[in-house]
Parts: sequence; structure tokens; C-alpha cells
Amino acid sequence: MTDKRRIGVYVCHCGGNISDHVNVKEVAATLLGEAEVEVTRTHLFACSDASQQEMIDEIKEKKLDGLVIASCSPKLHTFTFRAMAERAGLNPYQYVHVNLREQCSWVHTGDKPGATFKGINIVRAGVAKCALTHPLTPLRIETQPRVLVVGAGVAGMRAALSLAGMGLSVFIIERESEPGGWAAQVGRMGPDNQHGPEVVARLLEQIRRNDNIILYTNAELTAKSGHIGDFNATIRLCGQEDVSLNVGAIIVTTGFTPYEPRDGEYGWGMPGVVTLMQFRQMLEAANAADGPLTYNGVPVRDVGFIYCVGSRQEKSEACPEPNAHCSRFCCMATAFTGSLLHEVEKKSGQTINQYHLFRDVRTYGRLETVYTNARADGALFLRWDPKEPPRVEQHDGRLAINVKDTLLGDGELEIGVDLVVLATGMTPRKNDSLNDVLKIPKSKDGFYNEIHIKLRPVETAIDGVCIAGTAQGPKNLSESVASSLAAVARTGALLKKGYVNLEPLVAKIDTTKCVWCDECLKVCPYGAIERVRCGDKEVAMVIESTCKGEGACVPICAQDAIVIEGFRDDQILAMIDASLKELVTA
Amino acid sequence: MKPNTDKRPLDYDVMVVGAGVAGMETAASMGDMGYRVLLVDKNASIGGRAILLSKVFPTLDCASCIVTPKMASVSHHPNVQLMTYSEVDGIVRNADGSFAVDLHKKASYVDFDACTGCGKCEEVCTVTVADEYNYDLVTRRIAHIAFPQAVPKKAVINRRGEAPCTFTCPANVKASGYVSLVRAGRYKEAFNLHLENAPLVGSLARACYAPCESDCTRGEKEGTVHIRGIKRFMADRYYAEHPEPEYGPVENQLATRAAVVGSGPAGLSAAFYLARQGHQVTIFESEQEAGGMLRTAIPPYRLPKDVVDRDIKNVTTLGVKIKTGHRITSLPDLKQQGFNAVLISTGASDENGLEVEGNDLDGVMGCMQFLHEVNVGEMPDVKNKTVMVIGGGNSAMDPARAAIRMGAGKVIINYRRGRKEMPAHDWEIEGAVEEGVELMLMSAPTRFIGKDGKLVAVECISMELGAPDESGRRRPVPIKGSEKVIPVDMAILAIGLLPSTAHFPAAMKNGKGLLSADPQTRQTADPDVFACGDCVTAPTMIINAIAQGRRAAFYMDRHLKNESLNVPFDGVLEKTDKNVVLEEAERFVERQPVPQPVLPLAERRSSFACYEKVMTEVEVRQEAQRCMNCGECSQCMECVSACAPKCIDFSQKPTPLSINVGTVVMSTGFKILDPATKELLGYGRYPDVVSGPQMDRLLAPTRPYNAVLRPSDGKEPENIAIILCVGSRDHTVCNPLCCRIGCMYSIKHAQLAMGALPMADITIYTIDVRAFGKGYNEFYEQAKAMGIQFVKGKVARIEQLANGNMALHYEDMLGEGGKQTREHDLVVLTVGFLPNTDAFSLYKGDALAADDFGYVREIDPVSEPTRTNVDGLFAAGTTIGVMDIPDTVLHSGAAAAQAAAYLERTRGGQ
Repeated sequence: MTDKRRIGVYVCHCGGNISDHVNVKEVAATLLGEAEVEVTRTHLFACSDASQQEMIDEIKEKKLDGLVIASCSPKLHTFTFRAMAERAGLNPYQYVHVNLREQCSWVHTGDKPGATFKGINIVRAGVAKCALTHPLTPLRIETQPRVLVVGAGVAGMRAALSLAGMGLSVFIIERESEPGGWAAQVGRMGPDNQHGPEVVARLLEQIRRNDNIILYTNAELTAKSGHIGDFNATIRLCGQEDVSLNVGAIIVTTGFTPYEPRDGEYGWGMPGVVTLMQFRQMLEAANAADGPLTYNGVPVRDVGFIYCVGSRQEKSEACPEPNAHCSRFCCMATAFTGSLLHEVEKKSGQTINQYHLFRDVRTYGRLETVYTNARADGALFLRWDPKEPPRVEQHDGRLAINVKDTLLGDGELEIGVDLVVLATGMTPRKNDSLNDVLKIPKSKDGFYNEIHIKLRPVETAIDGVCIAGTAQGPKNLSESVASSLAAVARTGALLKKGYVNLEPLVAKIDTTKCVWCDECLKVCPYGAIERVRCGDKEVAMVIESTCKGEGACVPICAQDAIVIEGFRDDQILAMIDASLKELVTA
Repeated sequence: MKPNTDKRPLDYDVMVVGAGVAGMETAASMGDMGYRVLLVDKNASIGGRAILLSKVFPTLDCASCIVTPKMASVSHHPNVQLMTYSEVDGIVRNADGSFAVDLHKKASYVDFDACTGCGKCEEVCTVTVADEYNYDLVTRRIAHIAFPQAVPKKAVINRRGEAPCTFTCPANVKASGYVSLVRAGRYKEAFNLHLENAPLVGSLARACYAPCESDCTRGEKEGTVHIRGIKRFMADRYYAEHPEPEYGPVENQLATRAAVVGSGPAGLSAAFYLARQGHQVTIFESEQEAGGMLRTAIPPYRLPKDVVDRDIKNVTTLGVKIKTGHRITSLPDLKQQGFNAVLISTGASDENGLEVEGNDLDGVMGCMQFLHEVNVGEMPDVKNKTVMVIGGGNSAMDPARAAIRMGAGKVIINYRRGRKEMPAHDWEIEGAVEEGVELMLMSAPTRFIGKDGKLVAVECISMELGAPDESGRRRPVPIKGSEKVIPVDMAILAIGLLPSTAHFPAAMKNGKGLLSADPQTRQTADPDVFACGDCVTAPTMIINAIAQGRRAAFYMDRHLKNESLNVPFDGVLEKTDKNVVLEEAERFVERQPVPQPVLPLAERRSSFACYEKVMTEVEVRQEAQRCMNCGECSQCMECVSACAPKCIDFSQKPTPLSINVGTVVMSTGFKILDPATKELLGYGRYPDVVSGPQMDRLLAPTRPYNAVLRPSDGKEPENIAIILCVGSRDHTVCNPLCCRIGCMYSIKHAQLAMGALPMADITIYTIDVRAFGKGYNEFYEQAKAMGIQFVKGKVARIEQLANGNMALHYEDMLGEGGKQTREHDLVVLTVGFLPNTDAFSLYKGDALAADDFGYVREIDPVSEPTRTNVDGLFAAGTTIGVMDIPDTVLHSGAAAAQAAAYLERTRGGQ
């Protein structure tokens, strides 16, 4: 392209986020003088609708063929401005985003001249890159109207039903022999007093009756190939037989693993120290028998509940890999258990004292009523400090909890109990083989990570793979189901359209240079490289629909045969030259 | 509202009500799935409450960064139709499972298609109100764009109704408009605005009986705004600066000719508005000078004649010709002279006589005759004489007070009823008495006694009040034998005026001599002849005559242009409910009236100088500040002149719409609890006790002061307290629920405040810290590591100290223990939330079920989230209970999936 480019440069104030630290007017004014820059402007919020309209009008009016927007992180607004460019009749890949906020204003607060100088140079680099862009066309992929749901807990089953209701075919696989997950084992659940096994049975019945849903139990996902809209999933049944499924999308609802206390942690291992789940099963049994609650045949008189077991942990010698997160459901579940215990107490006529040892009672929103009810039902709440956690000891065949109730001042209490119930939290599902297949990134807490908690909360970095329920983070049942339905909506939006457009910013191989050394194949995390014959030699080929443009193949190639569209060497070099121009000449 | 029984096609697959995060998310999701979506919001912009936030927890992304992409995606979505500034009136479920919906687009008074969002109207708007988008921390204009990132970025103008002053004014002179212009110092614009409804500004400023003032809402508080005093200032200022009008004849002159008979206020006004339309207008006046009663009847101490002259220039400058000394006796003659239409506005200056002995004596005269002589003839000699004025109306006050000024020895007003029953304005009577007029009440003349044909005394009889007459007033009955004789040199009869219609054929008149004209159009039986003013209505106020003149001109213009007269006259809104204004005014500061300065009594008694003095500029601006902007928009019309694309249209009406949709998602959100409910915490009393939402605005990139400052004095706070659970988990305000987001948004406030004010100490008073979501507990730990203090203890009471700071009384549950007091210079109340109960009133079928706390009830939150008891009607986001943005987004996704499933189920084949 020999003609001079006509590039528009738009610098955003970000309502002060940028303009408080970078003189955006100066950035705009400086760039206006540069070759190939046709127009520069500043906007209070470039992303606002009105600003977008102004830019669109100007792109059309001045017949711009390149667009540089210097604003926040491209993670936030790349798609916003690509869509805008498209509305303005400009190829969206001729727009270049410069991160003037995270990479400039926010890291150089207090040095406005310096930040402005840097700002000018990084925008200049963006212009240099923009000048070397050319129009690209997204890859259009036909999508398959079938979905694989991994994990047949309540969230997964509910998702399957909803997908089927939208006219999609669903395969739902469960590693265990019985579907239903944790809800099937827990009995009545707060705050709505619904019976877990009944909910599961109801959903299962609907699934069995639905011709569009196939449920596999004892089934594991062992391999996945293909790409968004068209995946091939290999399912191993009962550890032996493999089934291959062709699906357009995958929803992962693999749930959580309950925290397993360390030996001796709050008395774990002592007789009478149980988890909340175990205790609930004891209660169910007592309830079913209309009898008193007993432990080892002896009626229970005192129960101590310890909250936050395995949650909100701090790093220590005993706990080198702490779970820093709050498990969200356990305060409500434990307080609710208090009320269930009171029911048994009423029914059996036995007197049971219950002590709830908490840090903060996190019965948020309407769950507050569960806490209120528990107190009314006789639950005593004692607050402990993580610096001095409760100690569980055995005295004369009985358990004692020593705790300093922070609300009572300095005194330490010794509470004699028959049972200690540990409200164990949720931890990420332990399933390394599945993780190897799915390759979904995880967040700091070890749960699967969404792309953006508020913008794209069920989508993952793997296009076409959604996460829902507690696989993404602790949730109670209704929250899990809501998120699984949100994943259904996303998946429905993907598959009902029948096609999907993929990023054209992928690797390209110069077959004249390639000598097939297989290094690129080895480093590609997405399996996007194939060996093909090209004339008289073997070369690497990129499966464009699988390639994420991630770039590991580029530096590894000894022949320099690979470039990534949008990040070509000539572009990167031009950016370096441009950004150093002033430093070098000065 | 009734369901549709026939199966009809859907206008939209789904209607989403409320375009906050939940509504936008649901709409975008449904649109992505290929359904046609109508997204309705009652506000001028989509974005809900989230767009007003500073940043969002726990990632500290800008709220704009989170919400604007959602706003952009729905506003540009090919499958989503936005309807902002629109309200749903009712929803019912049809037999086929679809829903019939009535809704309307509210009148924004701005043509959205033409508006460019330039904000010029906002710049010039003269009325400010508390800015709800900044949670009342600052003010905004009435013509406004909701906030900088608004979508659509269009201006709207709020009009609650017609201001009572404007509504009550017979001519609908935009009193609220010129008062707000004067308040803004735009006197010329104020004057020009007045011309739009009445051209005789100077005369009205002095002699109008100002019905606007009697209906002023401020009158219910400290006393009415002295609107006429403000007008007086504006007119005087304008006339002093502009001895001649700034305009000439209109450009587009027409060939049509109109004759106006009578140059009183009605005739002059009609001529003015006709000439503005380009018609050739001639006024015929039988007197030697134009002005009618303004000139001949109102004494100069109320209305100096140079003001009348200047007012008339407003009319004549337009090319209106006035032929004085020219009495019209034949209408056909006028038509023959080539006039295409005639307006009769001859007024009512003929007088009722008193049928008692001696009424023909020299010294007995009518009040019009007397005032005519005072004004334009030879001043009668009343020096040291006794003058008796008979009558108790306003027309009795003028001769009485004039006589005082002419040096009469004694002036008596003789009235047959009591003081209470006198029809004259109180202030006129008081002024008269102050100036020395004696009231002789419950008395009526029975005989004028003369000597040599000249009046020397009046015999009067005392009266008592008997049974009420047809007007409801008690009829005065003479007391037999109570006659007495009073020496009087001159008796002036002010006992009623008659229409001056003697020259017109009886066929045009009714039994009382009044001309018959259509009350709407003022057209008479002869379509080319119109009639208005006192000759049609009987004597009334100047402003009434002017009002009729403008009305007659409006229809005459149409008649002259051969246009239909079957159109409404003025687009006047319903009168604003004063109670609404007064309720709001609870928060207004008290503003006492600025007293109207008057001439000293001695001067008043001895000269015809204008007895009211004009207020000073300072006084008048101060008085104008007292206006309560009852109608919201004052109709000052500044925006109309400022708007380049000409998109402001005050005639806009709400646009109703009835549609059929396949399913409905309610995302009507929540309400914020008024922190003033917790009285002991001082919100509303102490300016530096702010609410959580206000703190968010203080910290936002588009924050009102562009810095974190405390509202009272603009100081940077150094020691901030944040109190959690204000009105949440609190039975005393009937809100037992946890607000669910308060802990987290307060930790966010603390972290942001720490960034903005690195030197500030920040303390959060908590019950529990509920940091339960993904990354939340980590965010809480981070706050502690940053040095933010957490105190477990509920603050019971806040009081302001002498230094302006606040003392917080609380029980320290973890530290020292016991009752503690701590001083802070800014206090943030993390308020609770309440359900928005709109959803319930919108659904007109069998009641939409609520939960125990007033939120829309999910019938099965575990397996059927978002489903309500109405099949096909779903509730998304905070409509079912307050939740944070991530939970709202997920819940809305669920609503979309549920609504889609419903559509497939009910309309799968289509």
C-alpha cells in the first residue's frame, strides 16, 4: 500500500481516569502533526454512545481508513470499538487499541509530564501499527445444534432440560454412577426448605422423559478436539468403552469438592467430630425414625458447630496452601441445620443445646431470615477470632470446645459437647484429567475462571465452553441453577444462530520457509498445528478455527516462517521504532 | 384493561421492563438468541443505578467500563428496540399465553430524532432542581441530559404541570418563566417572553390585579411571590433601555385587512397578535387618545400615561394604525372599506345610574366620568370639599383615592354591606384608608339633596344584612327610620358599569346588552365579525381583556387565512398539584417576602406619582429566588432559542401504544431506603452525613465536585466513618433483610477513598462483614491490609460538634468494650434497600405474587429461578431481592433462558 493512510486518533479522558494524569489534549495535539494522521480528538468517554456516534460520523466524513483509540484496556472495549468501526464502514481490524489507562495513567500517577510523554509515544506506536493494518475477514464456522453438559448435578441437569426446551440436543455425562451430585445426599435445604433428593428425582424424571437428552453415568470426558461450534468429545463409559460425540458447545457443571480437614484440625479424627454433611445425614436418619438424635447409641445433648472450616484461611505452617475464599453457602447451611436440629428436638422431646462458633455470619440478603430463625430456635452464636481459633479436646470420653468468645471479653469458655460439626467449605473440584482435556483457566482460588465476572460471567477463554454452578465458585443451589441457565442462554445464543464468526488474528505459515521441524506443534497449547504435504515437502499447517492467535509458535520457529495476523513482525518493529523515535532523536 | 381474545401476531417476542443491568443483560441475551426484544425504561437513559456507581467491587473496574458496553450492546443490537422515557401502563396475559401491553412514551418536549445531545438547552435553562443522578448532592437543570454517558444521549425537559401562576393567569402569561429569567438576570428575555402572551407589559406591571399572586404556592408558606413587582422591575428596566421596540413590522406581510373597534387592552392585544401574523390592522378609537380604560379610567398614581404610551408602541411598531376620534357606528361600512374581518372590543365604560331623588344634581356623577376628567379632561375641583363615593368595588377605590390626591377635605366611601363584603381588593381598601378615606359601611344613599341645582348633602339610611340573595351574599335591608343627612359636595357613583354597545344592532346582543360571541373562538353570528373583552363578558380585569384579545386574534387569523377554527387555542397543561410542591418544599429554606416599597404617605396624599416604587435589582432577584418552580419547567423558552436543530416542542403529548408480546421480563429493580428514617443518625440534619449512594457519586470519575469533598464546607475529609447496616437487618424500620451489597460497596468506598485521600483515616462500623462472593473475602482482607479499620459495633447516635465534626456513639464490642464516642469529619451511611413495587401495579391480571418482604416472588428459586406465579412473566435481578452485579447478570441470563423456553413452549411452531 503506497497511498498515504488516513488515520483518526481518538484519545479518551475516561472521565478523569486518564486525563487526571495524562494531558490528553497534548497527546491529541502532538499526534495531529504526524504523517498519516488525518484527525485527532479527545472524548470524555470514548465508549459512550454519543462519542461513538461522533467518531462514526467523522470516519465516514473524512473517509478514514485507520482508527486508533487510546483509552482503557483492550480487554474492556475492543469489541465495542470493533462494532463501532463496522458501523462506520471501516474494517474492524484496521482499528488499533492503545491502553492509555492501565499501561500509562494508572501507573504514572503524580507525574503528569512524564505520563503525557509516554502517552504520546505509545499512541504513536499504535499509529505505526495501524498504518500497517489491512482488512481482515472473520472466519465463519457452521455450528452444530448439540450440547455436551459435563456433570449431572442439579445445575447440569437443569441446564440440560432448558437446552432441550430450546430445541437443542443434549448429552449430559456424570462421572459417578448416580446423577444428582451433592443435592441428592443432603436432605432438606435452606432457605426454601426444599428436599434435595426430591428435586433431583424430579429433574431426573424430566430428563428421562425428554427425547432430546441423553444421560450417561459412569462417564468421563477424556478427549476434546475441534473448536467452537463444532467439537468432538470422547466419552469413556465405565472406564472402558469410548463414545464420540459431535457437539457445538460444552457446559461444564462439575461442581466442587468439600474441604477435607487436616488431621487434628478442630479435632478432626476424634470420635464425635463430623462434617456438616455427615451431621445432616444423622439428622435425616433421626428425623425419618421420628426418634431422638443419637451418637453411638447415646442421645445427643450438646452440639457445637464450627464455621469457616477450610474457608477464609490464612497461610501458616500447618496450612501452606490456604483457601482464602469464603465458601458462601456454609453460614446459611449451618444456621439452617440449627433449625432442623431444633425440629428433631421438638419432635423427640430431647433437649439439645447448640453452639454456633462463627467468625462473621454471612447470611446475606434474604438468607438473613435463616439466621434469625436459628436464633429463635435456640441456637447460641459465639464469635471467635482467627488468631485464637476454637480448640477441640477430649475430656473423659466427651468432647470439649475451648473458645474465646470475642463478644464476651477476655474469658475463655469450655463447652462440653457430644458432637462437633465442622462446617467445611467448598474447594475446587479435584479432577486433573478433566482439566487436562478442557484447559479452562482457573482463578486464584482454583475454581474455573470466567472471562469477566460481570461482562461474560459464564464464558471461558475456551470459546464455546461455558462454566456454571459451583465449578466457577461457591454458590448455593438456586444460585447454581441461575448460573447454569445463564450458560444456557449464552449457549443458545451461540447455537441457535447456526454459525459463529471467529477471530482472523491467527497464525500464518510461510510454507516456502517451513521445513517441518515440529517445534510449533509441540508448543501449541490448542492443538492447532497439523502436518501436511505441500508439493514435495512436509510443512506445518494452521487449523485456523482452533488457533487462538496466542503466538507461542512464532518465536520457537527457527525459520521465521510464522507470523500472527495483527501482530506481524513488521508491525511490532514499526511500533518499537515509533515509540522510541523521540527518545532516540533526543 | 382486557386481554386480547383473538390470536394475533406478536409485535415483539419479549418485552423487558426496566433497563438497568438486569434488563440490559436479559434484552441482549434474548436478542442474541434471535428473539425480537422491546426494552422499556421510564428514565431518559438506560443504565439503571449501576452506571451511577464509581467503581465496582471486587475488581475496581470503573462502573462505566462495565455498564457502557452493556448499554452500547443493547442500543445497537439489531434485535433490540429501546423505548426510553416510556412507561408501561398495564400488562395482561392473553388466552394464548402471549401478553397484551399498554404503554406510553412520556412527553419529553424534545424531538429525539432531531436532538443531537449538544447540551445547549441545559446551559441556558433557568430552573435548577436537585440532581437525582447525583443523589441530590448537587443541582441540575430542568432541561437536561441525564448524565454524560446517557444512552440515548438526548435532552428531556421535565414538566410536572402548569405552574399555578401561569395556569391561573387568564392570558396564561408565563409568570414562572419571566420570574426565572429575572432570577437569572436575563431581563430582556423576560420582557420578550411576556410579549408572547400579553403586549401591554408596563400597564400590567402597575395595574394588573395579579391573579397569579393569589394562586402562588409560596403563598401557602411565607407569603406569595410578588410576581407583579418582579414584572414592574423588568418592564421599567426594559423601557428605560429601549424607548422604542426592538422590532418592526413582520417580514411576511399579508394583504388581508382587519379592523379593530376600540383601543382598550383587548383591542390593542388583538391588533398586536394579528399584526404579528402579517395582517394589515387598523384600530378605530372614539376617544382622542388610544388605550381605553388604561388611559381614561385608571388614575395616574396607579398607571402613569407615559407607560400606556410606551405599551401602545409595542403594538403600533408592528404597523398597526390607530384612528382616534373615530367612532364606528356601522359594521357594514367597515366591510365596504375593504376590511376582511372586524373585531369589536369596545369595552364597558357606560355606567349604571342610581334611581334616587336628586341624581341629576350638579355634583352627582359617575365614576367613569370623574376618572375621565381626572385622566384626560379638566381636573374637577374638589379642593377642601367633601366627596362621597358610592360603591365598594375596585372602581370605587380609584375615584376615592384620586380625590384624596386632588386635595379633597374629606372622602367617604359609602357601601351598603360590611367591610368583609366589599368586592374591592383588600390592599386597595387598606391603601385607601391609610391615605385618609373614610368608610361608611352598612349604609346606602336614599336622596341627593341639592341647593340651587347643586349637591349639598346626601341622605343615607343604615342597612342590615338579611337573607342571602341569588349570588349567595346576604342582601342588605334598610333599617326603617335610620336616615341621616350628610353634607357632601360631590357624589361619585361607582355602582357598576355597562357594556359600551349602544351602536350595535340588538340582534348582536343579549338581554344585558352584551355582545354574543362564541366562547371558544370569539366569533359572532356574522363569521367575519369577532367580539371580545368587556363588551362580551361585562367588566372584568385588564388581563382578562388581554387574554380575550389574543384568543380572538388567534381565531381571526385562522379565519382570515381560511383555516378551520376547530382547533384548540393554547396547549396549557393541567395545573400542578400544590401539595406535591409543598411536600418537596419541606426541604426548602424559608424565604420571607421582600416588602413592596411604596411612597411615603404624605407624598401619596399630595401627588399622582406612582405610589408603588420599583424594587431594586437586588430585591427583585431575591424575590424571584422565592419562586418554587411549581411546574418544574418554567417555560422561559430559553432552550427554544438556544436549540440549533429546533427540536424543542412544548406541544408534545404522551404517545400511547398497545402491543402484543410473547413473554414479559420484569427488571424493575429496587429502591433505596431513605437514610433519614434512622433519625438518630442525623441524615438530612447534618450535611456531612451522606448516604452510601452519595459517597459513590463523590468518588465517581464524573463526580460532582471533581474531588472527594465534604458537602458542608468543601474540606477534604480526614477521618471518614462508614456505618454499615443502616436500615438493614433492622426491625425498627421493618426491614429485617440484609442488604447483601452494603459490606462490599462500603469496603470499595474505603479503598477508593484511601486512594483519593491518602492521608485520611477510614473506619468501618460493622455487625458482620459479609464478603461472600468470588474474590470478595480477598477484597476484604486487602482492605484490612491497607489500614482500613473495622470496628464491630452498631452506631446508635450521631451528633454534630461545635467544630462541625460528628461524634459517633457506639458500643465497641471487640476493642476496649463498652460505650465509646469517636469523632469523624465525614460519615457515610451504608443504607439498605427496599423493593420497587412497580411490578405489581403494572400487571393487571390476577395479582403478581410478592414474597414476605415485598419483592416479586420466585415460585421455585431452586429449580425455576426467575419464574413468577404468572406463567410467562419472569422477574430478573434485584426485582426479586437485592443482589450484586455478578449475581444480577447471572440471574438475568437465567431469565433470558426461561423466557426463551416459554416462547418455544407457547409459540414453538411460529
